[in-house]
Amino acid sequence: MSFWYNQVPMEENFNSGHLACQGCGATIAMRFALKALGTNTVVVIPACCWTIIDGAFPAHAIKVPLFHTAFETAAVVASGIKSGLRIRGKGDVTVMAWAGDGGTFDIGIQALSGAAERNEDIIYVVYDNEAYMNTGIQRSSATPYGAWTTTTPEKHPEDRPKKNIMEILAAHSIPYQATATIAYPEDFIRKFKKARDIRGTRFIHVLSPCPPGWKIPSDVSVKVSRLAVETRVFPLYEIEDYGEKYTINYWPKGLPVKEYLKIQGRFRHLTEDRIEYIQQFVDRQWEKLVLKHKLSHGTLDNIPKNVIYR
Amino acid sequence: MKEKFGLHNLPEAPVTLETTLINKTGSWKNIQPVLQESTAPCTAACPAGIEIPLYFDMLIRGRFDEAAKILHESNPFPSITGRVCPHFCEQKCNRGYFDEAIGIRGIERYLGDLYLDKKWSPPDVTRDEKVAVVGSGPAGLSAAHFLRKKGYRVTVFERDQKLGGVLRYGIPDYRLPKDILDREIEALKREGIEFKTGVEVGKDISFEELKNSFDAVFFGTGAPLEREMRIPGEELFIKGVEFLKDVNTGKIKKFSGKVAVVGGGNVAMDVARSLLRLGATPVVLYRRTEKEMPAIREEVERAMEDGIEFKFLTLPVRAEKKNGKIELTNIKMKLGEPDETGRRRPIPIEGSEFTEEYDAVITAIGELADLSIFPEDLLNKKGWLDVDLRTTATKDDRVFAGGDLVLGPATVIEAIALGKRAAINIDRRINGLELKEFRPFEKVVEYKKIVLDYFMEEPRQKQPEVPVEERIRHFDVEEVGDYTPEQVQKEALRCFSCGHCNGCGTCWVFCPDMAIGWENDQPVFIYDYCKGCGICSAECPRDVIQMVQVRTF
Repeated sequence: MSFWYNQVPMEENFNSGHLACQGCGATIAMRFALKALGTNTVVVIPACCWTIIDGAFPAHAIKVPLFHTAFETAAVVASGIKSGLRIRGKGDVTVMAWAGDGGTFDIGIQALSGAAERNEDIIYVVYDNEAYMNTGIQRSSATPYGAWTTTTPEKHPEDRPKKNIMEILAAHSIPYQATATIAYPEDFIRKFKKARDIRGTRFIHVLSPCPPGWKIPSDVSVKVSRLAVETRVFPLYEIEDYGEKYTINYWPKGLPVKEYLKIQGRFRHLTEDRIEYIQQFVDRQWEKLVLKHKLSHGTLDNIPKNVIYR
Repeated sequence: MKEKFGLHNLPEAPVTLETTLINKTGSWKNIQPVLQESTAPCTAACPAGIEIPLYFDMLIRGRFDEAAKILHESNPFPSITGRVCPHFCEQKCNRGYFDEAIGIRGIERYLGDLYLDKKWSPPDVTRDEKVAVVGSGPAGLSAAHFLRKKGYRVTVFERDQKLGGVLRYGIPDYRLPKDILDREIEALKREGIEFKTGVEVGKDISFEELKNSFDAVFFGTGAPLEREMRIPGEELFIKGVEFLKDVNTGKIKKFSGKVAVVGGGNVAMDVARSLLRLGATPVVLYRRTEKEMPAIREEVERAMEDGIEFKFLTLPVRAEKKNGKIELTNIKMKLGEPDETGRRRPIPIEGSEFTEEYDAVITAIGELADLSIFPEDLLNKKGWLDVDLRTTATKDDRVFAGGDLVLGPATVIEAIALGKRAAINIDRRINGLELKEFRPFEKVVEYKKIVLDYFMEEPRQKQPEVPVEERIRHFDVEEVGDYTPEQVQKEALRCFSCGHCNGCGTCWVFCPDMAIGWENDQPVFIYDYCKGCGICSAECPRDVIQMVQVRTF
């Protein structure tokens, strides 16, 4: 057992030989998720990168049943599977819908909203690589401001901010929501274990770097995910008690956003004033989040600061 | 696949039948990771090349026996160096750029003391050849220990009545208690090394006789002679090394009055600090400035903490006896161009002479080896012993030499290192093999290669210290205390473990292809499935995994 990551189970529910690109963040995310959830799990996957990653017929990469479904239906199919399992007396099986940002932010949002509103007993995970990567890097509503994609080329980069999916789900009053990213395995696994043991709709927003889509070398996907947290672009937090209780899990170092942007080719064209604009946007979002934490807890002192947070 | 499906017997639903393990995705890559350990800066900086990250790793895992064995492999006397070493390792520690260097010396001392009385079973005599070691200082003892470990019968000749050389007669008790030294020597006696005290080579036994009755001889006779100042009135001065010897043998128990200590090296510091503890008021006269002092920095700082007066840029030029006191005339100096040692050369300022009265003057301006026992043909043109430092061999096939004898006044750890080097080469010479030349480590882990995100700032553990006002009143009270076991654990965990895989698991945890297995607390790469993304190499906190080109056809 590795001595730094004693919270990461050795159990491996995911086989090598899958078809992801080199350095894919989504595969690391699935690996952690299945380590946390265990084999008593069913995964539902709509059209997304993972349709490919899992492998072509007759092979299959993960060691739990996986159901491929249509783009807009991940949440509703997961709900159906859960109901079916319950009727057959297998209510203890965890059903996880695992969708990309396209299938969550854009195309699957009505099914997700419906399932969340009915508080279906599913875990819905969006592994967010911030564009339609599988079809060739087209913009989605999860693409951040200023980013290059093939449909928002450098001359006309993305001019709208990223949709705040956590707030949309918080407005549905579901029992558990969290953000997680691959650079913090122990935090990631803790959140998935916590979600597994809660009933009702659980929503987890995973930032999952995509080396080709973000124009980064394959070996920096963990680093970029860490920088997203440390620059406060993607803070790690949870929303519990039906959208009421906000908890920031880690107080980031607060590095300048530029650190995060400059290592990604998709932001290469940004001028100083655009970077400053993004910085201000990130700062405002962070301040709001801090206020929400303070509102929920009455203090900021319980946020872990200056810790090795893996 | 249990059943072959074809167009004639398609399954009812498209279910998968096997795993992706059939896809050997390893064929996608053009670079692949390899576990390639390199040298940590501490190991590279240590003259004895102690593999510090290696034994720290064992400490973290609680395998103290193995940790102590690794430590003793390069340094047989960690209890001694754990106290008196200037810790070159800590000076080069990568953690020093991050927050504070690791307390390597404190851990070495803790581990050394822990195993002081329970070192391992004595090695068997497996060889017929006999080796003589002349001098029982750190170089001699180290050579004797390593030769004994190789199975030789070893006899150590010491001219004094007690063993230890400079460790006993040069280093004062407040730095190295005699008890520790005695226990280290006891351990050597248990190893089966024969010691002959009170035997002086050149007097009781001749060089030729020694050479003829042994298969090889190692000389570690140190630098016991004080350099002369060559000024009028020098006969009034006391020599530093002799003074220290008298203090350490208990001949001098008290000393009073105002005493000038001339010099800026370790002997000067030991003399000045000893004088203070014996009741005198020492004043250090040094011809350059504090920056150029050759003494261990820590010792200079401690001397200053003790409240000892320093007069820099001051050089005595003559002395006279007047009313039972010594009238010392000094000249003021200024610094000129750097000399061959890189330090700025002191130049006298004309007409700046001044006179002071002292009760005694002790000189410690450098120590020299006693070369009178060696035949002429072993010396070089300058009159020094001709020794190849890379092998410790002299011009005579059966004579080797190390320690201060060849280095001039240096450190204990350098003497230990040369002793070991000599043991290796004496063994090779006896076996008729070519001598092994010492080479400095090539690939040393740089600070920028450490992934700092995996570490957080944490202050260094402090060893307990006797307060200054307390320590200057005692001669035999050790000024620095031991780490507690908890402190050792904490301090070892602070180590970056540069270039040595300590099984942290970062590569394993982040592999997107499940292509890193975990065996014996180390990663094992499964190249059939590794796609060569490089995450393991980029994230490895200690630069152990390198990406190398895959052979393409």
